[in-house]
Amino acid sequence: MTMTRAEVQDAADKAFGQSELAPDAAQSWALIAEMGWLMMGVPEELGGLGLGREATGVIHQGVGKALVPGPVLAQMLTIEALAAADDLPERDALIADAMAGEVMTASLAGGLDGADRLTCVPDADTASHVLHVTDDRVALVPAEQVSVTYREGWDKSHRLFDVVLEGPGLTLARGDAARALADRIEALRLFCLAGDSLGGAEAALAMTVAYLETRQQFDRPLALFQALKHRVADMRTQLTAADALFWSRAQQADADIIALGALKALACAVYRLVAEEAIQLHGGIGLTMEHPCHLFLKRAMLNGALGGDADHWDERTGRAALEAAA
Amino acid sequence: MEGQALTDALDGLRQEVRQWLADNAPHGWRERSSSEAAFLQIQRDWFAKLVEGGYAVPHWPAQWPGGGRSLAEQKILYEELARADTPRLLLSFMSTYHAACTLFEWASEEQQALLIPRILAGEIWCQGFSEPNAGSDLANVRTRAERVGDHYVVNGQKLWSTMGQFADKCLLLVRTSNDGPKQAGLTYLLLDLKAPGVIARPIHQIHGDEEFAELFLDNVEIPVSDRLGEEGQGWAVAQSTLSSERGLTLLELSARLRGALWRLGELIRAQGRQDDQGIVRDFGRLSAKVDATCAVADQFLANRIAGIERVGDASIVKLSYSRTLRDFTSLGIRLGGIDAQYHSPITFGGGMETGNWMADFMNSYAWTIAGGSDEVQRNIIAERLVGMPREPKSWTLKEGAA
Ligand SMILES: Cc1cc2nc3c(=O)[nH]c(=O)nc-3n(C[C@H](O)[C@H](O)[C@H](O)COP(=O)(O)OP(=O)(O)OC[C@H]3O[C@@H](n4cnc5c(N)ncnc54)[C@H](O)[C@@H]3O)c2cc1C
Repeated sequence: MTMTRAEVQDAADKAFGQSELAPDAAQSWALIAEMGWLMMGVPEELGGLGLGREATGVIHQGVGKALVPGPVLAQMLTIEALAAADDLPERDALIADAMAGEVMTASLAGGLDGADRLTCVPDADTASHVLHVTDDRVALVPAEQVSVTYREGWDKSHRLFDVVLEGPGLTLARGDAARALADRIEALRLFCLAGDSLGGAEAALAMTVAYLETRQQFDRPLALFQALKHRVADMRTQLTAADALFWSRAQQADADIIALGALKALACAVYRLVAEEAIQLHGGIGLTMEHPCHLFLKRAMLNGALGGDADHWDERTGRAALEAAA
Repeated sequence: MEGQALTDALDGLRQEVRQWLADNAPHGWRERSSSEAAFLQIQRDWFAKLVEGGYAVPHWPAQWPGGGRSLAEQKILYEELARADTPRLLLSFMSTYHAACTLFEWASEEQQALLIPRILAGEIWCQGFSEPNAGSDLANVRTRAERVGDHYVVNGQKLWSTMGQFADKCLLLVRTSNDGPKQAGLTYLLLDLKAPGVIARPIHQIHGDEEFAELFLDNVEIPVSDRLGEEGQGWAVAQSTLSSERGLTLLELSARLRGALWRLGELIRAQGRQDDQGIVRDFGRLSAKVDATCAVADQFLANRIAGIERVGDASIVKLSYSRTLRDFTSLGIRLGGIDAQYHSPITFGGGMETGNWMADFMNSYAWTIAGGSDEVQRNIIAERLVGMPREPKSWTLKEGAA
């Protein structure tokens, strides 16, 4: 697996590492499909690459680092659900289409979706299908059976929609199987949001350090001020610790929802810290549209709210930790 | 006045202001302020109304109309303005604080008699201190003013001038000499932005608003009579402006913050989180911080009036405010949940009261960066108030570094 992680990392760096921040959405999507990133988590017998959570982690960190727009996370959630739907006749064709880049989207909001309303669904207007997850049924609803409303967000790297379901769609799982699948989808969502956040934090920190090294005030580079160095050191420490937790969770196939929720809350807190500090340490220029600082901040804030916010996960983590410590 | 009599008088003022606001406060400004033209109109109308009511400039000296209010009276006024949900006077804020307060201290009687009434009539001022290479290091100003007969010829560029694109006049810090310490070569001029050779280009801020602008000055002529203080005294005059920006304005802003706490309270109830201990505690902590920010602003002003203000006192006020405002708007976002992630049309002219939490949150950086960043305030506090040594002035950089 370590070998594979390095390989995927290399590919991710090549794909988005050199390009500018927030690349074009359509081109990025084509590239992601072409590189086979949507096949990563799919078992080999279904035509995928059968790579585990680590590879998925690399991809989402890469996407976060470059602020890649588009529905990659929502798509992966849908593919995960399809892979589990072993008595759906048209499954193989649907997976093949999804892996090839036909948009099949899902809610990023988290928790169980309402009866017939979904929020925070990326690119729903161009999707062929929308995933619907409830307590006792997971379904894939074709575009003809949904109506979508665009909701302009602060984070322009996501195009989010409210979706109203107007038909039953295809059943992917029911009953206990649906509950288990809902958990898997939620786990993946949390893990990927954490990855996107840590990648973004890494890039924002690098950008800030580079700025402090070049910007001169008081006849010296800002990087010479210990007050600022210490801030950078704090960020580096928090980010490294969260990143270590991320890769450790990536190897724990049995990490439960709460463990991943805690990871996501921590990663988002670090992302927000770094993005806020990036603006502050850039001074006036960081508060303008001309500079990319704000793109990180807006994505950090959205990631923090998606999939359950820190209040939600901190509380659940606290209760679980209390029980464990009893 | 003492004790009960004073309390009664203040209660009386509160009632009076409340009644006046009930009759005069603008309605629907939040919905209407999403276009620039509407914003300007609403701001101008509201300012004019406040001037007429005698409530626009309570912090001015008593000889000017609307001035001479005690601290306690000012606070009541600001709290009531916030409670009545009136727009903050973003457009005229620099005129009534930064400009007016600098003029009171440094302008000749003739200059005051000419300029102060125009502020009340609605003339807009902006501040032209910062430049691309003079941000925190303000003494590094390079915009050059050359004296030719009875005027200066000015060339250079100014950055981040709040409301610069709408302003009539500008408080301009320029370099008139390169001899001696950097500060000693600065001069303070009053620039008419309608003068030939001035171009203002608005800059987009991250919350979507164009609140500040850059100014390009190409052979702009400024009469010597439009100078504040002597040539070479610009640094001292600029300190007055900054002291007003860092201290005086905060009485209004912190009182408004307290007056706006109800917005969060309402949100907590609307989200059904009044039994969420985490939220309630954080709200409690925030309210205490808001009170402390108000208290430190009061103390600052009392010391200033008593003539015992120290260099650096204003920095404590500003640093308290900027951090409290960040906490305030952050809690708003937290309570707003996913809804706070959606973009609603920008309301110009709000501080923490646009009703648009993400915009307010992002705008709170204006306070941790502008007017001397938090880091610069910390340096001032540590060095000037606590008495810690200053950073060495000269640094030896390795060959090739930076
Ligand atoms: C919303 C807004 C409105 C503004 N309005 C006006 C206006 O109306 N008129 C005007 O003249 N200017 C205005 N400014 C400019 C403002 O005063 C400057 O942005 C500010 O002084 C910081 O300078 P800078 O942007 O060049 O950042 P820099 O000076 O480059 O600072 C970058 C970072 O380094 C830190 N830093 C710098 N020096 C030190 C040090 N010695 N020790 C530790 N840390 C340090 C800073 O705190 C900051 O975090 C405005 C700025 C903003 C953001």
